[in-house]
Amino acid sequence: MKQWIRWSGLISFLVISTLLLLVWLFAAGPLIKYSIETFASQAAKAKVEVESVDLTFDPFGIEIQGVQVANADKPMENLLQFERAVADIELLPLFLGKGIINEVALTGMAFATPRETSGALVKDNDEKSGGDSEASKTADDAAKATPISKQLPSADELLAREPLLTQQRGEAFKSSFATIKADTDNVIAALPDNKAFAAYEDELNRITSGRYESVEDFQQRKKEFDALKKRIKKDQRAIANAQKVLSEGKKDLQGQWSDLQAAPGQDLDNLKSKYQLDGAGITNLSRLLFGDKVGQWSEQGLYWYEKIRPFLVSEDESEEPETANNVRSEGRFVHFKSDRPLPDFLIRHMQLALTLPALKGKAMGDVAVQVYDITHQQAVINKPIRIIAKGQNLKQMQALDFTGVLDYRKSPGVDKFELNVKGMVFNDYDVGAMGLKLKRSQLDIVANATRIAGDINATSKAQFSQASFSSKDNTQVAKEMAKALQKVDRFDINALAKGALTAPKVTISSDLDSQLNAAFNQRLKDKQKELEQQLQQKLNSKLLSYAGGYQQQLEAMDLTSGSLSAKQDKVKKLAKTELSSFEDQKKADADAAADKKRKQLEKEAKEKLKKLF
Amino acid sequence: MIAMLAKLLKALNSDSAPGQVALAFALALVPGLTPLFCLHNVLILLIACIVRINFGAFILATLFFSGLAYLIDPAAISIGELLLTDASYQDFWTGLYQSDFWRATGFNNTLILGSFIVAIIAFIPVLLLSRWLISAYRHKFMIWVDKLKITKLLKASKFYKVYQALAE
Repeated sequence: MKQWIRWSGLISFLVISTLLLLVWLFAAGPLIKYSIETFASQAAKAKVEVESVDLTFDPFGIEIQGVQVANADKPMENLLQFERAVADIELLPLFLGKGIINEVALTGMAFATPRETSGALVKDNDEKSGGDSEASKTADDAAKATPISKQLPSADELLAREPLLTQQRGEAFKSSFATIKADTDNVIAALPDNKAFAAYEDELNRITSGRYESVEDFQQRKKEFDALKKRIKKDQRAIANAQKVLSEGKKDLQGQWSDLQAAPGQDLDNLKSKYQLDGAGITNLSRLLFGDKVGQWSEQGLYWYEKIRPFLVSEDESEEPETANNVRSEGRFVHFKSDRPLPDFLIRHMQLALTLPALKGKAMGDVAVQVYDITHQQAVINKPIRIIAKGQNLKQMQALDFTGVLDYRKSPGVDKFELNVKGMVFNDYDVGAMGLKLKRSQLDIVANATRIAGDINATSKAQFSQASFSSKDNTQVAKEMAKALQKVDRFDINALAKGALTAPKVTISSDLDSQLNAAFNQRLKDKQKELEQQLQQKLNSKLLSYAGGYQQQLEAMDLTSGSLSAKQDKVKKLAKTELSSFEDQKKADADAAADKKRKQLEKEAKEKLKKLF
Repeated sequence: MIAMLAKLLKALNSDSAPGQVALAFALALVPGLTPLFCLHNVLILLIACIVRINFGAFILATLFFSGLAYLIDPAAISIGELLLTDASYQDFWTGLYQSDFWRATGFNNTLILGSFIVAIIAFIPVLLLSRWLISAYRHKFMIWVDKLKITKLLKASKFYKVYQALAE
């Protein structure tokens, strides 16, 4: 038996195994660090940096220090960072390539912290350098524009902000008017004046009156007559052309003038519908007063949801069945019923503490967050991801509870969230319209949201109690609004968001509307009327500024048109004048001589007859 | 590789017990036919280190059976599938499945289980067959080969000197 045992072999095995284990222990930290940085960067689409990763042995696990996840949208800002994360990992499943983490505790967690270096991924730099700044500029513009559109702007602001038909048509009219006037002036300048007409008449008289002395005299006169007629015909055409230019110009200007006159009315209608100066807009006070805040909270909520979701679930992979088809030469894993099914990756329990962002410089307290069963293969463990957050050491509210369930066991996945806030002190909220401020109030919020296949359906009810409003604005509307609001002690604001997650349709309603409606509805209507009148006046002023000397020009054109008709008649008459020929003159002379001879013969015959009787 | 082949040839020709070389071949069946990076192969490696077998023969046989595994894998997968899905064994497998240790062995993988079963079944026949072949090689084949003129010529050549030097 002794010759079959090789103790040196056992020692060699132990030495080699120990060496391999030591190498693995030294390499494991950097390898895990590299894996986290690489794969998390891909998921976050921004740099993920890890200070160090160490293995722990009692219990077996890892300790990760100094994690910074950059914000893909703001490279100089961290989406989140934490000082330390301790994970308790199950050892045996690692031999199967499965990462099963029983417990993760995160400490020193903070959001939106500044970075010293850019967190943009290198490969994305070139692509985003142009687009990012453009996109952020557009987003900034939109962010700046949104609250303005929800306030009550002045007539001047509205007119300055909106592209007006009055302005567009006015500019076009002004330009056409100048062109037509120049054309008209040009054609009129080319027409013969009265002196020219008198000269034509004198010339015609000279040519057509008197006897032809000879054939040469006739030919000379004929030549002059033809030249004169040619000039008269040319002037006739010029007058006809001038009449045409005047007629078309007048028609064009009259058409444009009609459009320009209609423009202020159309502009007013557009402005009224856009800025809800109608009855529906007046009564929708809750949106006017709290729309900004609700919009801001919704945007923040959706922003963080979209950022955190990729780290929690992976719809693509979760849709894959666990039992795949036979793969040649690799076999397949057959799973049996178990109390402890093992997906490829699972965090059974994660706990972290968040500090709520300060409100108006006042600390709000902390939130203890527990997340259970984080895995991309929920079908394997048959459990959804559960999030439970509870307020701790709260300063400005009595209670805060949040629960969330991300269920991707079946397709399509369903996310459900519930939020309960009780007794939140909500002070000094600048309403943003008419200098109104919610000085003091206590707020209870009950909200829930469901997301299925990219569509969200969310409702929230915010109950304000012990409300106290004030206004620093001295306008009558603001004063009356503040006066009416003083009578309101409690009111509700209900928000409903439905539709695509990226652009849900948000509806806000409140009983504040009905409470206040009677108090200042009339005043707002007056204000609306006043604003409409101001708009009308200003639009009319704009119209008149474009009209300029249109009426005078039109009158002048009419006069010119009449004068042209007279000129045309005169020229036509001149053009009809004909020159008698030399042959005709000779024939007339012969006829006159024959006539004289006949009369002489008649006279002689009469005298002869007298002598006979 | 040449040195290892030389060592194998020396082991076959030497006074090493045929059983030690045969056991090396038989043990090599397991890491050769089953996927290499499995927990049970650590145990086989430990046995190969402790038990006085010819280690060169073990490694060479492992490489040989790994190549052979490409042909056997489909059959092994079928055997594993048959065993793991057989209704009469479900309670047994479900019991093992509750243990992290057994799951770490990958017993519920059709290839691992199938090829392991093939290796275990083939263990005794390969042990006995290889032992008989080694004895036959030494007592009959080696003497017959030594008598061949070509062998005498080879032994006189430089190649044989190199082989001897490497083998030592």
